[in-house]
Amino acid sequence: MQRFRRLVAAIALAATATTTVAACGGGDNGDNSDAKVLKLWHYESENSAMGIGWNRAIEIFKSEHPGVEVRFERKAFEQIQQNAGMIINSSEGPDIMEYNKGNATAGLLSSQGLLADLSSEADKRGWAGKLSPSLQTTARYSDKGVMGSGKWFGVPNYGEYVTVYYNKDLFQQNGVKVPTTMAEMTAAMDTFVGKGVTPLGMAGAEYPAGQLFYQLALSKGDRQFVDNYQLYKNPVDFKADPLKYGADTFAQWVQKGYVAKNSASLKAEDMGTAFIGGKVPMIVSGSWWYGRFKTEMKANWDTFLFPGNTLQAGSSGNLWVVPENSKAKSLAYDFIDITLRPEIQDLIGNNGGVPVAADASKISDPKDRKLIEDFNTVSKSDGLAFYPDWPVPGYYDVLVSGFQGLINGSKSPDQVLDTIAKPYADGVKEITGK
Amino acid sequence: MAVSETVAATPPAATPTPPAPSRRRRGRNAAYWLYLLPGAALFLLVIGAPLVGTLYLSLTKWSGIGDPRWVGLDNYQQLLHDDVFWASFRNTVWMLVAMVVVPTLLGLLLAAVLFDVIGRRFKPRTAAALRAAFYLPQVLPVVVAGIVWGWILRPDGAFNSLLDAVGLGALRHDWLGDPGTALPAVMAVMIWVQIGYPVVVFMAALQRVDPELYEAAEVDGANWLHRFRAITLPQIRPETFVVALTCTIAALKVFGPIFALTRGGPDNATNVPSYFAYYTFFKKLQVGYGSAISMVLTLIIVVVAGIFIWMQARSERRDRGF
Repeated sequence: MQRFRRLVAAIALAATATTTVAACGGGDNGDNSDAKVLKLWHYESENSAMGIGWNRAIEIFKSEHPGVEVRFERKAFEQIQQNAGMIINSSEGPDIMEYNKGNATAGLLSSQGLLADLSSEADKRGWAGKLSPSLQTTARYSDKGVMGSGKWFGVPNYGEYVTVYYNKDLFQQNGVKVPTTMAEMTAAMDTFVGKGVTPLGMAGAEYPAGQLFYQLALSKGDRQFVDNYQLYKNPVDFKADPLKYGADTFAQWVQKGYVAKNSASLKAEDMGTAFIGGKVPMIVSGSWWYGRFKTEMKANWDTFLFPGNTLQAGSSGNLWVVPENSKAKSLAYDFIDITLRPEIQDLIGNNGGVPVAADASKISDPKDRKLIEDFNTVSKSDGLAFYPDWPVPGYYDVLVSGFQGLINGSKSPDQVLDTIAKPYADGVKEITGK
Repeated sequence: MAVSETVAATPPAATPTPPAPSRRRRGRNAAYWLYLLPGAALFLLVIGAPLVGTLYLSLTKWSGIGDPRWVGLDNYQQLLHDDVFWASFRNTVWMLVAMVVVPTLLGLLLAAVLFDVIGRRFKPRTAAALRAAFYLPQVLPVVVAGIVWGWILRPDGAFNSLLDAVGLGALRHDWLGDPGTALPAVMAVMIWVQIGYPVVVFMAALQRVDPELYEAAEVDGANWLHRFRAITLPQIRPETFVVALTCTIAALKVFGPIFALTRGGPDNATNVPSYFAYYTFFKKLQVGYGSAISMVLTLIIVVVAGIFIWMQARSERRDRGF
């Protein structure tokens, strides 16, 4: 019994000591320029454009901060996605971390006071000047965690957007010209259908269908629509254009054979490999495929912006965030600053990524340069319209389910719009309380 | 009268009353409880505490970060009016067909044929090899099996190619992409996954049945079907209960194959409560609502398991004749 009492006392003492140490940590605002360690986490692979760029940024940081140790840990995307709240709420979290942009992720953490406010640093260090307004949207969050306005809680340094990848060889073999308008696009697809080729690769079980629908809707939309849909500025009528046009046109494209009726169960990977294998002449998808096509595809290929659209699905890439509990905030800000320097931005661009502040003339490969120039065109004209599944948590699966119905013909466009309207309204109500 | 006298003469001390437990024996019995303590502590830690935690969360509204807000029974009320929740339970009924009814019936038949026909006419090793073949899907990680079946059933997959090869190309279909065929396709996969388990259990059960019963029945002129109904089925009833119970619990909480094959789609055609709970919990960040779904599912599993155990106990009592 005596031994048991001693054990309980020891546990209680240990618990008290831990709490006391944690409490001491909590009282520190962390803006400690004397910190000797920077704990840095991100989830990019080592040979990706961002991974290469950030490795170089770490080298520069070390040379500029002699005596500071950088403790870098590569994490898995899902690991951060599902555990970020708990991680950065503890004293074991990093000082700077790559984190997902959007209301349900960075917005949610910022609304709970878990992320450091970067507004004064953004002004002081000129980050605001390097990022176009549509790129800033994902960096700033309101008190309720809604993106687009309020304080800076993250800084992106790469971008992404949806474009049209096309197989030059197949275009040439079938006598099809690269379309610049929607009329030319449909004519090109008619030509392919006439020759027994399904023109657009599709994957109904994942994001590509929702993104094609959104691209079609954006062709009839404007910034006001994007603000209403993504930032809840005004209610959205799903039974009116641009969303109605998007769903109707998507259904027509399936009917006309532009999109295969049996692609409802396919995944994005299936669509990508079909394009790499030369089975489909075009896919509408994101710049995240670019590096892979560059290394794996044998046929000649290139990209063009979705014809006729001034708005494109796309956004900044994920964000650098600084946890409120960070003990080395000044060092974290220095690191963010380095990643936005031309040297790192050019490095990202020269490795197939889409930097947010690169000088296109410094990009050596013409195809890489075109990818970045296209992004700059969209970004500078405030043309990034984000992604269709962003507005509310869980909306990705709602869209997937809805558009699977349109591909396999089990639902009409009106039914699909009904299916996706209610979860949107419920989700917006949940977030805004309206 | 003499009898009465005899009885009356019996000394009270000879009455076979059970001896009163001595204090020492009671102490020894109490010592046994010490051996249960590690298990009980583990149960409280691994099952009890999370269960209480989930129950508490199911009465709150919480996004997973910050403080949960107490909402009482709101989540449960919302569940009652949630079409997806009811759709997921309708699909569970079909999963019960695919994971309990068909495998148990088919497994029983296969085990009887392997044991009684194949085992006798060929070498027992042949029956053992076939039993292992049926059991093989159970050894595969279910997500791996799901991914491979996903490849087989995709529009340009092996199944459609097979249809082409045998001249049935007109039947080519996007099996997992059509709400009309997705659930039957998933059910077929689950039958394939499940079938080996009852086959192995039933074959083990058949080995403990007294062969003399079959020989006597044969002498009396009973054919295979008669013997199967009159001897095999009653003799292996305990194993049938075990198989039905474990398969029912597996069907009620099925998640892995749905996650790997269809993610509940298309249009919730293959959604099941555990996937719905996962989706609500992790994708919609509605932790309270997801916990309420989990609690309802837990309650159903406990009730169903209770009914099975009660039925099994009643059946055993009947067999023993009291």
